[in-house]
Amino acid sequence: MAKLTIDGVEYEVKDGRTILQALDDLGLLMNGVDVPHYCWHPKLTIDGSCRLCQVEVEGFPKLQIGCNTPVKDGMVVHTKSERVKHAREGVMEFLLLNHPLDCPICDQAGECKLQDYAFEYGVKHARTEEPRRALKKNVDLGPTIKFDQERCILCRRCVRFCREVPKTGELAVFNRGDHSVIETVPGMQLDNPYSMNVADICPVGALTTKDFRFKIRVWFLEEAPGICTGCSNGCNVYLGVANNKVYRYVPRRNDSVNDTWICDVGRMTYEEIGAPDRLKLPAVRSDSGVLEAVPFAKAIDAAAARLRSLVERKGAGVLAAVASAHASNEDLLVLARFLDAYGIRHSGVTVRRGDSDDLLVKAEKAANAEGARTLGFEEAGPLAKQIAGGGIDGLIVLGHDLLDPAYLGGERTLAKLDTVIVLDTHVSALERVAHVILPVRHAAEKDATYVNHAGRVQRSWPVVEPSFEAYADGEVISRLGAALGLPGFDGKFDVREVSRSLGAAAAAFRGIDLESVGEQGIPLAGKG
Amino acid sequence: MGLKVPFVTGYLTEHFGDDAFPTLEGYRAKGGYEAARKALGSMTPDEVIELMKTAGLQGRGGAGFVTGLKWSFMPKKGDKPRYIACNADESEPGSFKDRILLERGAHQMLEGILIGAWAMQAEKTFIYVRGEYAHPAACVQRAIDECYAAGILGANCLGTGFRHDVVLTRGAGAYICGEETGLLESLEGKKGQPRKKPPFPAEYGAFGMPTTVNNVETFSHVPHIVAKGADWFRGFGTEKSPGTTIFGVSGHVARPGLFELPLGTRLDEIVFQHAGGVPNGRKVKGVIPGGMSMPILPAGQLDVAMANEFLRERKTMLGTGGIMVMDDTTCMVRASCVITYFFRDESCGQCTQCREGTGWLHKLVTRIERGAGSIEDIEILADVTSKMEGQTICAFADAAAWPVQGMLRHFREDFELHVEHKKCPFPESFEL
Repeated sequence: MAKLTIDGVEYEVKDGRTILQALDDLGLLMNGVDVPHYCWHPKLTIDGSCRLCQVEVEGFPKLQIGCNTPVKDGMVVHTKSERVKHAREGVMEFLLLNHPLDCPICDQAGECKLQDYAFEYGVKHARTEEPRRALKKNVDLGPTIKFDQERCILCRRCVRFCREVPKTGELAVFNRGDHSVIETVPGMQLDNPYSMNVADICPVGALTTKDFRFKIRVWFLEEAPGICTGCSNGCNVYLGVANNKVYRYVPRRNDSVNDTWICDVGRMTYEEIGAPDRLKLPAVRSDSGVLEAVPFAKAIDAAAARLRSLVERKGAGVLAAVASAHASNEDLLVLARFLDAYGIRHSGVTVRRGDSDDLLVKAEKAANAEGARTLGFEEAGPLAKQIAGGGIDGLIVLGHDLLDPAYLGGERTLAKLDTVIVLDTHVSALERVAHVILPVRHAAEKDATYVNHAGRVQRSWPVVEPSFEAYADGEVISRLGAALGLPGFDGKFDVREVSRSLGAAAAAFRGIDLESVGEQGIPLAGKG
Repeated sequence: MGLKVPFVTGYLTEHFGDDAFPTLEGYRAKGGYEAARKALGSMTPDEVIELMKTAGLQGRGGAGFVTGLKWSFMPKKGDKPRYIACNADESEPGSFKDRILLERGAHQMLEGILIGAWAMQAEKTFIYVRGEYAHPAACVQRAIDECYAAGILGANCLGTGFRHDVVLTRGAGAYICGEETGLLESLEGKKGQPRKKPPFPAEYGAFGMPTTVNNVETFSHVPHIVAKGADWFRGFGTEKSPGTTIFGVSGHVARPGLFELPLGTRLDEIVFQHAGGVPNGRKVKGVIPGGMSMPILPAGQLDVAMANEFLRERKTMLGTGGIMVMDDTTCMVRASCVITYFFRDESCGQCTQCREGTGWLHKLVTRIERGAGSIEDIEILADVTSKMEGQTICAFADAAAWPVQGMLRHFREDFELHVEHKKCPFPESFEL
């Protein structure tokens, strides 16, 4: 440990860190101790070229860049001196010299570090009458990103990102001096599974995602914390919300999960929340075989009636339940209680699998496979075989991963079942065979916890309200249990109370519930 | 006598007129490689470094850092190979001394390298030659080949068992590759952009190995110091700046060329006596004392000894010793246009202040030259240089800012006349 004094306050910092790294470790950078910076990024190599983070270090005649100056025990740093102010004004003025004055139509406006720092640290008027550089506008860098060369301040974060994170190296600085420009390497496109992160780390409006640009002015967005549910990594995100609609995901820093990144596929899963194929209406199949929309309570009653009739004829032994790895721990705990209460012995959890990489993307394409396993749900493969073999007559199914080729490979084998009750967020082929359909909520619409691949419990918050009637899976099952008159089911679902009882259901959850998880998540017992 | 320059010779250049001297045989005939034999055969590496420190040789590449001290920064232990890079990327406008040292004294330089290699226990030297220097590069390569054939370089240098290899590489024409870490990047085949420090080259240099970078002339002094001792060396020059150096004089003088003279020789002596003064009955207006990146001195300040301790008092530096003389027809705003254009064109573009500042300076100066500038523009010019200097990865931004500061310090009137007349008031000056 080393002692570092900044603006008269002494801090203890880890050895071998630079001034900015030490401030970042302490959580103080731009959050108590303001050292503005452009090229430095906590998850990229140090570049040291923007020169905005210059500070005064006692014992050095010249100003030193905070990003690359190693902390030495006893070092004394000043971030607010006149010299520092003069240097920052210089950098800001130089960066603005050739920057276009198109803030009103720039999509970065409102979350632009050039705007912010110019306001905070810049000179208050322009002193140049020389024409500004005219460079390329609206350049297609690849399938996901648009580039405005004139707005670029050459911090080279994007260049380093492509070289260091996806290791694809599509971008480089060409030419030199004040005719330096960033371009894609000849013959290459900016096209990698993490490409859209360059728009997040670009401090200005040079790199924007084709998906989000011009959708909404960012100052109308509320940035709400949440997690990506695209795979079992559970990357932390901010959901950009306005008008009860999610406009985008941007990665939220969590050094234990996703650093500051998210994959492009995961980022785009925000579209699922307000997707046109959301399951919006509860429905019951009529005697004529047609699905008819009914009020929610009627659908619950119809589901209960079908189940009761089947059990009366054949007993609970012919019932099975398929849990979903998309469902939360709270949902799954209620389902487990339901199975116990109703005496359903056949159950399993479906987890759709796909591509993975060694960065963030995990093979299990759902947020909570690990949570389901922790709560005792076994892999649904054997159950799927049993269903296909005709051993099951009634099925409660959460989600539609059962239709994946790894399980049933389609809805056909379900057609002969006596009873199929579906709880789902989105329309699927299950509709063709379901007898009762019950719409449920997306993670972004409820309080819930999930366990990622590494055993880290994370949570979601309700940041949008569905425009149709839908409930958490747990609540739907609670109501079904009550309709069936099952012991312990009164039709109420208090997610906090359910969450608090997770520890009693599985020891790994002991001491963990919605309230304790927080924005950064906590590891399951034994996974720390 | 095959060569007319230097006009004044010293220990470095005394045999440069001898056409045999560039060959190994001719060099040996003048006692060549005896100093290396002495160093490798009878001195420890530390003794050589101590000798260099005592001699007080300052690097001749422009910054003037004490060579012995630089050598002592190399790690003594460690399993990484240690390298030397010899900076032959002479590209400072006004500087042409290294060229003759390469063409006529390649063996002298190689001997200095070999002694340095022994002192730092370096296993390899990369000689990085400016791309445009095709002939000098060929001269050096010939000398290297001769050394390998004669067993001076290679697995068993001079029969002492010490191994040292020398590799010549050529640059591709960027001024910034003369900056030591820009050179290392270029040497590695990358874009020539200076590296941030730390780490310093002695820790992380060429290909990540500990490396010391020295200039051609610096190495050329080394055999003489080893052969004749520190006291002898300190007999030349001033107390703080010992030895001779090769001044290159260009511009409005009767006898432009190279002059090997002790450091501390007066600038007016060099300009008027050695270089023959300003021709055509004109007068000196200003003199750049050390290559284009050094601030200019006005005619009234030429009574200065050419050594850093004295030049600093006049807010300029020795640099590479490239002296550029301008007569009284010269428009200093035009001269500033040339200077700022050069730095704008050559900035590597990494650091904000340099990338944007060099362009801004050039635009401002050009506009003033056109007669479209204002008094405020002159103030801005000064302010811009103050926001460029001392803030960047390498000294390039300083090198771009200082000459403008020098022009404003001594020739502000020229700038103001342009504003007043709304055109250039120096019709006889050179064409842009």
